[in-house]
Amino acid sequence: MVSAVPAAWRVAGWIFVIAIGIFLLGPLVVVIGVSLSESQFIAFPPQGLSLKWYQAVLTDERYLSSAWISLRLALLVTCAATLIGGAAAIAIHRRSLPGSQALATLFLSPLILPTIIFAIGMLMFWSAVFGPLTFLTLAIGHLMICIPYVVRTTTAVLADADPFLEEAARTMGASRLQRLWHVVVPQCLPGLAVSAFFCFNISFDEAVLSLFLRHPGLTTLPVRIYGQLEFSPDPSVAAVSSIMIGITVILLVVIDRILGIHRISAT
Amino acid sequence: MTDRRENLILILPGLLLLCVAFFLPILRMLALSVEGEDGRTLAHFQRFLGDAFYLGVLWRTVRLSLIITFVCAVVGFPMAYIMARSSARVRLWLIVMVILPLMTSVVVRTFGWMVVLSRNGIIPELARDMGLAGRSFTLMQTESAIVIGMVQVLLPFMVLTILSVLSRIDGRLEEAARTMGCTFIQTVRAVVLPLALPGITAGAILVFTLSASSFITPSLLGGSRIQVLAASIYRSVTQTLDWPFAAAQSVILFSGILLVLIPYIRQQSRHRG
Repeated sequence: MVSAVPAAWRVAGWIFVIAIGIFLLGPLVVVIGVSLSESQFIAFPPQGLSLKWYQAVLTDERYLSSAWISLRLALLVTCAATLIGGAAAIAIHRRSLPGSQALATLFLSPLILPTIIFAIGMLMFWSAVFGPLTFLTLAIGHLMICIPYVVRTTTAVLADADPFLEEAARTMGASRLQRLWHVVVPQCLPGLAVSAFFCFNISFDEAVLSLFLRHPGLTTLPVRIYGQLEFSPDPSVAAVSSIMIGITVILLVVIDRILGIHRISAT
Repeated sequence: MTDRRENLILILPGLLLLCVAFFLPILRMLALSVEGEDGRTLAHFQRFLGDAFYLGVLWRTVRLSLIITFVCAVVGFPMAYIMARSSARVRLWLIVMVILPLMTSVVVRTFGWMVVLSRNGIIPELARDMGLAGRSFTLMQTESAIVIGMVQVLLPFMVLTILSVLSRIDGRLEEAARTMGCTFIQTVRAVVLPLALPGITAGAILVFTLSASSFITPSLLGGSRIQVLAASIYRSVTQTLDWPFAAAQSVILFSGILLVLIPYIRQQSRHRG
């Protein structure tokens, strides 16, 4: 074959890939390593092997309450973002509204704006208009950064769908609601499923908005970890972090089982 | 009910939310940045632009973001190229390798770097053992630490953006170049690189924007002494509680980002239109 890559380059390529792999995954491996350590101090490679830091985390009231807040938040944001973003994506895709191109840009605009700027705006606006920050403030904040992903993924999926199915259902006498529920929603479903996992992941791991909108009763897991890292990290932070890595791995496996990893990289 | 009304109902919740919870907060932030004790003022901007300390922070933000973007592009292009030319099976594993860190919380990844780069971490210890550094050598609280950590955080964005462009390039173009007598490297330079350029540009803009506006990794790895703009904003909000000044700094950050984004968006729409 003419286009064969010379052997030397092939070897260099493999070395390069392995180096990048170590660079990208190394920090995660280190965190998991530290969490298994027996010592009181953060050390890698771990000294001794024990699960006592996991036990410490699972009995620590502060970590548990943060985990509960993060979980509730992520579930609420996932459901709301998928619903609101999915509906908007359908409307944008049909192009019957005036200025649908502008609408699409409008819905994607939170992707361009750095989260920190939105976070500041949200903090200042909410304090000025509604007063003290609540769980709802944070949920709405997360919602705003999740919806664009849902809209983008779902419109992409709809663009590949057969546009004549809905028309066919119409000629056969299906009502508006029936067409929406039995034809259009199933067409969006792969997009909605991928976006739901994304939303959960984004909300559960999000730290910028959560840091700006935190108050003593509203500390999500990433914010709790950030606080510990700023002051007094001990291996229990590593244990919480490892649990978060574990959740990410589980999410990835689930996405792959349901839809195939190749779909994520396409969006 | 008309089609238009049905679609209006579908889009309305999102649209309302976007206006109330996204655009109004940004307007509020803009308004606050010029708010003073008595009426509108540009004092907060003057304070920032007239203070050598803050100008230093601004310059550090731009400089580090440029370095981070450059490193991501130089490393990301070959990585994406290898991924695009691998077999489907290998590519899948490489994608997992890139996406897993991307999907992990930035806080967690930064923690990993804190362990690796600290005084008794692996990298400084290795440097000491090899005689490259003195006994008190540490990478924590240096700009290098920020660059290393940020490249790891942002490299996946670059790789995936370039990959999506590379996988659309017709592989026969490379074959043709090779048949015509180009060596492998010549082919990459003369055929692949120019075609991948839109991806590299898009990735670079994404990485630059994200790195100019992050504060979690820079403040944890750089410490409070080495501040970047976003970290300074966070400080103004949470420590000195000077919200108007924080708003003014955000406006400066956002203008800087728009300065990079707008020419790019213009050029993009010209290409499409």
